[in-house]
Amino acid sequence: MTSTETPGFEVDPALYSNLAGSQVNVELDTGDMILNLGPQHPATHGTLRLVVRLDGERVVAADPVIGYMHRGYEKLSEFRTYPQITTLINRIDWLSSFANEVPFVHGAEQLMGIEAPPRAQWIRTILTELSRIATIYLFLGEMGLQVGALTPAFWGFRDRELVLNLIESATGGRFHPNFNRIGGLKDDLPWGWIAECRTTMDKILRGCDDFEDVLVGNEIFEARTRGIGIIPGELGAAYGVSGANLRASGIDWDLRRDGKPYLAYPELDFKVWTHSDGDSFARYWVRLQETREAVRMVIQLLDGLPAGPIMAKVPRIIKVPEGEVWVETENPLGQMGYYIVSKGATGPFRVKIRSASFSNVSILPWLLRGVYVPDVITIMGSLYFILGDIDR
Amino acid sequence: MPKFSKPKLPGVISGLGVTFRTMMEGAVTVQYPHEREDPAPRARGVIALKEENCTACMLCGRSCPDWCIYIEGHKELRPPRREGGRPRSVNILDRFDIDYGLCMYCGICVEVCPFDALFWSPEFEYSEPRISDLLHDKDRLGEWMDGVPEPEPLELGAEVKGKK
Repeated sequence: MTSTETPGFEVDPALYSNLAGSQVNVELDTGDMILNLGPQHPATHGTLRLVVRLDGERVVAADPVIGYMHRGYEKLSEFRTYPQITTLINRIDWLSSFANEVPFVHGAEQLMGIEAPPRAQWIRTILTELSRIATIYLFLGEMGLQVGALTPAFWGFRDRELVLNLIESATGGRFHPNFNRIGGLKDDLPWGWIAECRTTMDKILRGCDDFEDVLVGNEIFEARTRGIGIIPGELGAAYGVSGANLRASGIDWDLRRDGKPYLAYPELDFKVWTHSDGDSFARYWVRLQETREAVRMVIQLLDGLPAGPIMAKVPRIIKVPEGEVWVETENPLGQMGYYIVSKGATGPFRVKIRSASFSNVSILPWLLRGVYVPDVITIMGSLYFILGDIDR
Repeated sequence: MPKFSKPKLPGVISGLGVTFRTMMEGAVTVQYPHEREDPAPRARGVIALKEENCTACMLCGRSCPDWCIYIEGHKELRPPRREGGRPRSVNILDRFDIDYGLCMYCGICVEVCPFDALFWSPEFEYSEPRISDLLHDKDRLGEWMDGVPEPEPLELGAEVKGKK
């Protein structure tokens, strides 16, 4: 799907790989320069170190060095009980912590053979979509910052605060809700929350229009993002890129619709947005539409919120029977999955965490070959990764 | 969709109009130490301890994900309630410390407490210049009880909790 006309860009990896060598003759050979971007760099959203080999202004090779924030959550999980682990996995992707909890709790519930009551499922879906809005909203603002526009960054932070206030008044934590329990939720929504949520959603929609006015139609923004950092769909899928990054490359794949049904998504009416270009602009555009779609979903969910209990019957000490389960969900950054192996104890035997950002970043060495240095920042910004999600 | 390519005079004027309107709107940010925004009543700010309810059962300390609660207690014999009965043994709390330098603010301790001795308070102003001062003892934790809000009413359709 193309919203506006796009220049016909053909991606030829061979062209990129030879650019550095082909244009330099022997006498004028300047030699390569190695530039470290990071680990403390404002454009890397954390401690990602990018070792870039430069020929003039062109990147010959780029190598992301990760692990500066490795906290070992997979190992730590082996020594914690199931309720304690939700505290840890809040901190994997700190921008969308609520969405992180859902697959893990869902997996433990599947192993135990219990299911959260419908009201709990719907409130979980609402809060997941709210955290999606909060995460992507920051991106919509920050992407302006990457190309040199300051105003959208402030808008992004300002309006995200409204969503975070909603999450805080319902769960008690702005960033680390820890609201999911195995078998349901910790508490019900407080009085007046739904009305407040509706007014906030109106503001978010208006904010999306502002972003579209200021950035999507802006010539400077288009010049910096159109045709830059193109991920071909099949190659992206081969690298494991997921989420909006893959949908911007024309691959119509969303786990909320195509995956195993989870939460209240099968009952919702929503559209999965794709873009055929696969460049930085497409990634921005897809995320912008996704925010609007998330607002639509939240309003549908608020309209149809069922009454009832929020907690299933769960034993006081949670012991998960022996078994293995793989649960994956569509998180704001892409596909998030947990592989839980249980040996019948109060804690898991092994947890494997598949986080979206790790795979999204793995395409960087290919993607950054042959681009100019300023575009490195734009491409990294448009891929949108969270360092805690890479290093875990 | 505005085009920024050709700056025309009307565009400049309407742009200044936006500037002027924004100037009149006032700031979104709050000048914190002078004016403060109260967090939501559910906000997990600090854990308060109601000492008389605590029986030193250690459930909170055991369920803490990073073991930042330190409890010590002993048993004492009290005279029987009725004539000729056996003397009662009572748990006395000697030490109840929470290290807020370690606490992850997950709220599991508040939830597992079977005697309603721990509560969340939305207070947040207890930063310290020295990290060792973040270890709050039971008197300090008891002071936080003043800020504990009443339970909020729930949204429509919520099931009112019965007795556990």
